[in-house]
Amino acid sequence: MKKDISYKTIARLLNTGENRLSKIGSYTGLGVGMLLLFCCAQMFINLQQLIKDKNLRKNGFDYISISKNITNQNMGGDNRFNKADIEALKKQPFITAVAPLISNQFRAKASAGNILPFSTDLFLESIDDEFIDTLPPGFKWQPGQVDVPIIFSSDYLEIYNVFAPAQELPQLSQATIQSVNITLECFSPLGIQSFRGHIVGLSDRINSILVPKSFLTWANLHYGNSENPEASRLYLKTNDANNADLLNYLQQKDYRVNKDKTKFGRVKQVLQAVLSGMAVFSVLVILLAMLLFSFYLQLMIARSKDNLQLLVTLGYSPQWLGKTVSQKWVPVYAIIILIALAITQIFHLIFRQGIFNGVELLPLYIHWMVAALAVVLFLICIYTNERMVNKLIRKL
Amino acid sequence: MAVCNILLYMQIILNEVAPVFMDQSAFSQSDIWGKKVVIEKGERLQIVAASGSGKTSLINFMYGLRKDFKGDIIINQKNTRQFTAEDWATYRSAHISIMFQDLRLFPLQTGRENIEIKRKLNPFKSPEALELMSNGLGIQNKLNQQVQICSYGEKQRIAVVRALQQPFNFILLDEPFSHLDDNNRKKAMQLIEEEATQRNAAIILADLKPIEFFNAQRTLYM
Repeated sequence: MKKDISYKTIARLLNTGENRLSKIGSYTGLGVGMLLLFCCAQMFINLQQLIKDKNLRKNGFDYISISKNITNQNMGGDNRFNKADIEALKKQPFITAVAPLISNQFRAKASAGNILPFSTDLFLESIDDEFIDTLPPGFKWQPGQVDVPIIFSSDYLEIYNVFAPAQELPQLSQATIQSVNITLECFSPLGIQSFRGHIVGLSDRINSILVPKSFLTWANLHYGNSENPEASRLYLKTNDANNADLLNYLQQKDYRVNKDKTKFGRVKQVLQAVLSGMAVFSVLVILLAMLLFSFYLQLMIARSKDNLQLLVTLGYSPQWLGKTVSQKWVPVYAIIILIALAITQIFHLIFRQGIFNGVELLPLYIHWMVAALAVVLFLICIYTNERMVNKLIRKL
Repeated sequence: MAVCNILLYMQIILNEVAPVFMDQSAFSQSDIWGKKVVIEKGERLQIVAASGSGKTSLINFMYGLRKDFKGDIIINQKNTRQFTAEDWATYRSAHISIMFQDLRLFPLQTGRENIEIKRKLNPFKSPEALELMSNGLGIQNKLNQQVQICSYGEKQRIAVVRALQQPFNFILLDEPFSHLDDNNRKKAMQLIEEEATQRNAAIILADLKPIEFFNAQRTLYM
């Protein structure tokens, strides 16, 4: 005949009934701790999701421009980035690439002929092609070429269109501006040379008037008689413009950042700090609850010591006893964790509905990582429980 | 070779076993302490000893409850000193049964619950057989009563029925009938002998004096 034993066989021999308070206390603590932890994890994920959606990203990278902070103290000095600054930036793990924005070392003037009675001194800049968001195939220049392609900031176009009517100038669409012929005059001590400039693209990312790097390097040498100068503005390519390490690093170096792109990062940093604090607190609550539960188990086993000893004397395997006694709490743990998960789901829905008015920014259900966290915690609870009960029974 | 193994398995060998707490001078008079004793399966062995001569200690050594002895106890070619807690559990549930002098029943459980706890561990007898045995020993009315309110004689009979629920090759009886009248002693002894015969098991009975209605094949004095 097969063994006919189960927890039921020995249930009446275990003194489980008393000290109910410590049992219920530990269940409650465990539930509250788990709930807090799951909520923190879910909010953390929600935050990542929301901030990701706010950013204009390309190929999974963010591009931000930085310059040195000009203050009353340093405004007389050289506030450009030297080679060491650039190398230091490149070494940071959260920065994928760095490119300086090179400026012209000679006087440049643009006029738009008769159609657009407009003439102005201007600055020209260039940057590595990979940093330009809208790079048309014609954005190239070689010595001897009269045509100079230009990429114009769409912000500048917007500003122009704002003040143009007051100056009795025509407002321009993006398509029109690309058809305007610009005369680009470069001044050198030896004279003036004209080029035919035309706008080949508009950039949302770079607030500047960009010409091909080959042109500016050549022109700086010929008209400015100098190599490319050190840059006062750098563009950074990074996986996440809101990365806390990146923001801390820039703050520590006192670099000025395009605030618009990183302001979510600041909010995120604060929220993440709050959530991390809460997560640590909830882990403490869970640990305390598990400790309380272990006291309950120890007390129960101590009270049932004589009976357990007699069971071993009668031939019950200590291993079987340990397993059977500790498995008794598996459903309890499962129920506690499922309830905590269900409440987390409710909070997530309230957050999604209440704060974002049901806008489809967040998925309906909690993230799978939170569920995975629940499974991991469940396994940890069961493992520690079983280990402790086995140890106590072996000691009998 | 296999037959040989089975035969060895059916033996308990006491190899110069002696309690560490006893004076060595007492051992020369003893048939057991410091001697080699081989107990075969199916044997009827009576151990007679005065109070304090170490009967219960010997039973506890053989059942693995105490280890404070010199020499070795060999079961199935294996020294019991090498037994793990799990080995003892297997041995106690399938190969050796016991009736303790102090009975060791769960006082708050009923007679039936006490017997069932042993029966379910390694069922050899049916619940009906349990009833029949209890009827035979006159404790059928005590089965649903908490053990702590039974008399010592009733408890002894419950302990006898409990010891007979499992399969065994050896059964250890430590002053099993101390609180029973002659009539009940005979009935209990007869039941134990029947059950041992059914299993071809050895009976090792330790008592203060020889029991006249036990068909002992060998009597050893401590």
